Amino acid sequence: MTRRVVVTGIGVISPNGTGTEAFWSATKAGQSGIAPIEAFDTEGFEVRSAGEVTDFRAQDYVKNRKSLKIMGRNIRFGVAAARLAVESSGLDETPPDPTRYGVVMGSGIVPTDVVEVGAAVIESLDEDRNFDMRKFGQSGQKLLHPLWLLKHLPNMVAAHISIQQGAQGPNNTIVTACSASTQAIGEAARLIERGDADVMIAGGADSRIDPLSLVAYTLLGAVTTADRPPEELSRPFDRDRDGFVLGEGAACVILEDEEYAKKRGATIYAELSGYGSSFDAEGVTRPSMDGAHAARAMTLALKDAGIAPDEIDYVSAHGTSTRLNDLMETNAVKLALGDHARKVPLSSIKSMIGHLIGAAGAMEVATSVLALRDGVIPPTINLHTPDPECDLDYVPNEARELKLKTVLTSNFGFGGQNAALVLRKYDS
Amino acid sequence: MDRRVVVTGMGAVSPLGTGHAHNWEQMKAGASGVGPITRFDASTFDVRIAAEVDPLPQVPEDALTDELGIHSRFALVAAREAWADAGLEGAGVPSDRVGVFMGSGKGILHIERLAPGMKAALVTRDFDYAAFLNRAVETLSAEPRKQERYHQTGTHVARAIGASGPNWVCITACAAGNHAVGEGYWTVRRGDADVLLAGGSHSQIDPMSLGGYSTLGALCERNDEPERASRPFDRKRTGFVLGEGSGVLVLEELEHALARGATIYGEVIGYGNSADSYRVTDPHPEGTGAELAMRSALRSAGLQPDDIDYINAHGTSTSQNDRGEAQAIGRIFGPKGESPPVSSIKSMMGHLIAAAGAIESIACIHALHDGVLPPTINYENPDPECDIDVVPNEAREVPIRYAMNNSFGFGGQNIVTVFRKYEG
Repeated sequence: MTRRVVVTGIGVISPNGTGTEAFWSATKAGQSGIAPIEAFDTEGFEVRSAGEVTDFRAQDYVKNRKSLKIMGRNIRFGVAAARLAVESSGLDETPPDPTRYGVVMGSGIVPTDVVEVGAAVIESLDEDRNFDMRKFGQSGQKLLHPLWLLKHLPNMVAAHISIQQGAQGPNNTIVTACSASTQAIGEAARLIERGDADVMIAGGADSRIDPLSLVAYTLLGAVTTADRPPEELSRPFDRDRDGFVLGEGAACVILEDEEYAKKRGATIYAELSGYGSSFDAEGVTRPSMDGAHAARAMTLALKDAGIAPDEIDYVSAHGTSTRLNDLMETNAVKLALGDHARKVPLSSIKSMIGHLIGAAGAMEVATSVLALRDGVIPPTINLHTPDPECDLDYVPNEARELKLKTVLTSNFGFGGQNAALVLRKYDS
Repeated sequence: MDRRVVVTGMGAVSPLGTGHAHNWEQMKAGASGVGPITRFDASTFDVRIAAEVDPLPQVPEDALTDELGIHSRFALVAAREAWADAGLEGAGVPSDRVGVFMGSGKGILHIERLAPGMKAALVTRDFDYAAFLNRAVETLSAEPRKQERYHQTGTHVARAIGASGPNWVCITACAAGNHAVGEGYWTVRRGDADVLLAGGSHSQIDPMSLGGYSTLGALCERNDEPERASRPFDRKRTGFVLGEGSGVLVLEELEHALARGATIYGEVIGYGNSADSYRVTDPHPEGTGAELAMRSALRSAGLQPDDIDYINAHGTSTSQNDRGEAQAIGRIFGPKGESPPVSSIKSMMGHLIAAAGAIESIACIHALHDGVLPPTINYENPDPECDIDVVPNEAREVPIRYAMNNSFGFGGQNIVTVFRKYEG
């Protein structure tokens, strides 16, 4: 007897809006959250724009101010998105059995704060101004915050959420790059399905808009350095796309066993009815361009949901705005959905918020649920010059009203992990 | 129509050596892998000992050696051994039915490589980002940063063996390796894969981590007697010893294993997962989260506490963990005399963090298979607060049917797996 899994809450902290409804209004209106970086002086950097979260105060979401000291930026976003999701679900009024209440988050590399580490490095230089490990051991490392390690352990997002929300059930953190939070939500659904939990907080949080990450991504050549206004940089599926734009933020959903949700009288936004996961064993630093492995994740999710490809009404795309991904994804959707691929609308919110890496999949799940709820498909902005090789309906530049029943969302990780989810309008 | 999940292959690289069979011999003999740190000059650090893998194992030539960080190197060695040990090389299992789940953890921040950038950036009191950038690009481009990404262990292992089924990497700190085994078990049982490599790989024997854990007061400072430093459940324990390495298990659906005539080492039958939801700095003092995970694992295995014959403890050798764990065991299984024997192999190989739970699962499988319980070495002074039957100093021969493996992560994630002797 398989248990059905439903979505009963959403929380979003996004570059184009803090709070679920602010994010959703902006996204429907095609508003970009990409702007010049404010976090530090980018003079001399090739990459100078990103999707930063600006109107955010962590104190608004964390009861215990002391714990803020050991929360890095990504942790703060994650904790806030979880709080918003819980608030929207009514769980504060009908708290679950804490032992049946868990957390699974997608996360990523926790950026090193160069200013914080800087003093320790300088202290460790010898007379010739070379780094001396003995000096570091003796005095350099003592200049680091005593809880430095705690701030930088990536499992801490889920740990802090479990503490803030009193969730003592299963707790996991998945780090498969761009598909991490898609997998986190899929794995959380599996836990409910098999009866290990009744309620799960699932999502992703990430923040990499820092000097070291910018250097690393610039070296990888994946981030756009085009000379355009910031809000026009991310242009998935457009012929002139040339790389992604870094974003930051977090999204969480509340997943529940259907019967449990009904019993407590929860508002059910959608059903999470399928999850598929695959690995691209052939590609090394680039995806297999035929999209076969990515398509397999989609097909497995459809199978898991027990639906046919032509039942998909909307595809929330990975659409990173890199040359390779968008072409590969177009091929994958054609493989997975067959002829139906030509008819189904597909859009990428990364055109507006950039690529949130470990939080990207969760943002797209939140988008999918809101699209189902309101019957509105968000646009792919900046899609002005069609790419002959990307020839599907990408919902260019303006949102579209359409009654939706079933949505497919998928993500493809830089390391080869692919994941897809099927969400359906709830029908008891 | 429940699918059963068995272990058909294993691989290990640890401070006790390379190879799962060799590791098991070393464990039974009560060997110690702890010694002075040689990886870098630790002479001025408060803690100067660790359990290092020495020499570092050779990685097969066909791997992408220029991209490999130490986590991936360990993982590849253990995974290739497990894959061959299971007789899966050239066995023709469809690639999309083979999955990989790995526990991983924080990568190494090579702080010394940041020095040129920092020198340029901190000429005055204000951090000069542009100056930092110039030098940082120079230093970092000389050495790819790819190796420090967490998900790389899952990627490299899957590519090395050609596995295109479910693949993820979890980072639930000290519980991650056991977490991969537990979730891998469910994935095979559910039918999402027929074969799944599950394990963990990690090293935190680097200056930033050593300093970080040391500052938190978690590490043992017994620098003059390295092999006596890790002493789980002993009254004079003062902290854990950092270890490193990897353990990988081949989990396989029973009928699939039987059909190809595989050697079956043991069976996975239960898995429990909980969170302390207490503090990120400390485990719950009474081990309530640990208790919850053990009870949930028993329920998942369909067992009563009396059924368990052996517990492979998390037993880190810190004051807090061992007390909380012992008390949780006491509440479930009864006081010493009634509760099953317990041992911690961390006494011998230190704490492999994200790899610990995987190599401890391997120890459980061997213990079931051979009817031998590995010892807790350095157990000399019983602690009244840890009133459990610790297998002291020497391996104990006793036939067992059910073994439990505990792993509790920094941050409060608790993972417990249950294994059964394979009897057909």
